[in-house]
Amino acid sequence: MTLFGLTWDYLTTASSWTGDGALLDRLVEQLLLTVTALGLALVVALPLALWLGHLGRGGFVAVNVSNMGRAIPTFALLAVLVTADWPGPAYFGPYGRAGLATLIALGLFALPPLVTNAYTAVREVPADVLEAADGMGMSGAQRFWRVELPLALPLVLSGVRLALVQVWATATIAALVAGPGVGAIIVSGFARNHYSEGIGAALVVAVVALLLEIAAASAQRIVRAPVGRRP
Amino acid sequence: MTLRRSLLAAALTGGLLFTAACSGDDLAKDDDANDDSSGGGKVTLASQSFDEAALVTAMYAEILDDLGYDVETKLVDTRSAYLSEFPGSVDIVPEYVAGLGDQLNTDANGEDAAPISSSDLDATLEAMQPLLDDKGITLLDTSGAASQNAYFVTQAYSDDNGVTKLSDLEGQSITLAAAPDCTGRDDCEAGLIDVYGIDITLLPLGYASPQTYQSVIDGESQLGQTGTLDGTLDDQGLVLLEDDRGIQPAQNLVPAVSSDFLADHPDVEAPLNALMAALDNATLGELIAQVTVDRESPEDVAEKFLEDNGLVD
Repeated sequence: MTLFGLTWDYLTTASSWTGDGALLDRLVEQLLLTVTALGLALVVALPLALWLGHLGRGGFVAVNVSNMGRAIPTFALLAVLVTADWPGPAYFGPYGRAGLATLIALGLFALPPLVTNAYTAVREVPADVLEAADGMGMSGAQRFWRVELPLALPLVLSGVRLALVQVWATATIAALVAGPGVGAIIVSGFARNHYSEGIGAALVVAVVALLLEIAAASAQRIVRAPVGRRP
Repeated sequence: MTLRRSLLAAALTGGLLFTAACSGDDLAKDDDANDDSSGGGKVTLASQSFDEAALVTAMYAEILDDLGYDVETKLVDTRSAYLSEFPGSVDIVPEYVAGLGDQLNTDANGEDAAPISSSDLDATLEAMQPLLDDKGITLLDTSGAASQNAYFVTQAYSDDNGVTKLSDLEGQSITLAAAPDCTGRDDCEAGLIDVYGIDITLLPLGYASPQTYQSVIDGESQLGQTGTLDGTLDDQGLVLLEDDRGIQPAQNLVPAVSSDFLADHPDVEAPLNALMAALDNATLGELIAQVTVDRESPEDVAEKFLEDNGLVD
């Protein structure tokens, strides 16, 4: 049977999905990992980037420091974290083996799009709009909450959407340190010459990435809509 | 063996995928020179790139060079990457009996084909003979040296629990740090569960990888996977457990030669057989440690060993 046929078989067999360590288990683990890592990155990146954007300075440093994250291979970072005394390969609740190390590596990986987009979004609010806000006598905080943030939101959200899909697809590397996620099935499939399992699981990751992208795009559209409206 | 995985190799898993996908590419394009007469001309060696294979391949290269051949060596990540061109543009492969046999078997009969190898060397050779004939490969003499999976514990664990062989672990719950392909294998997870009756939880950390050693030394795993030729265990305070129920297939070293190439160049047979006879687990383990621990080059170690033993001039 062709590899395509074997892969189809694998994906259409119920036991590939249910059961201990099967696709559904691994998908849930990877979603949990992705959402948590993204959440951590949001908490770190957004307040800082939005604030710097509001001040209009320091952004150069913030954007470039976080962009270093793009240059460092996430797996190299993960390998270093796992080898170090802390966080090391310890189990971390539902995140499994090397959970904390994986969360940190993925969280750092999510920073660049979040920081860059959030900072740029606030900076790019048109100068005449800001002048108008100042002319109306708004305080700094009022200007940020009522003018800058609403206008910046679409671009901020597209950064979040980018980070979400990137982190989801990259989370498979957790398998290389015997961590959670669909990557475990991909690695084990290829290691055992069961290419159908490796390819099948990789396809599942790709399809879920598309679904996440579509869901995030819809969410973005819903949030964006009120901006044009008058209250 | 297909089990070799280091942390670095794990990093290259994406690359493995790529290599496998590209296994149709030419490893060596210059096979036109292979029809030279005996005792000279070009010869292409291919093997896997882990240290042990690189060392044995360097020995082959040195011997063939000594015979007057122009040797080209290709080291790749996986067996399947060179097997598609052997025989053909690849002429000689330093192989392992069971590893080659099982790969030929799955290539010919599908990925779920039952393994044809066993711990019995002669039975394994007999079972793989038709596959070798089909493919046009001739095996020369097998060596006493056999690179098999082996399982280690810390010296302290062995002393405290009186464990010296795998059957001492029967009935216990054990965490095993091993290569990802351990799952379901008769010489790994399945064998340890079914033959030895050990309740195994697998951590896919790699074959003799730094992560695997660390996991056992830290006590996260009790058992770790390495090979019978691992010369680094002593220094790390680790000891091998005896495979007293024989779950390891006969992974004896053996030269696999293209049958056509051998017919044209019969002079390669005697020196390679002499090399196989000169190697055993202890000798080869020491030599490998010179490469993996002392970081000497495989070529230097190979040359010195061959000269000391009168295998080359």
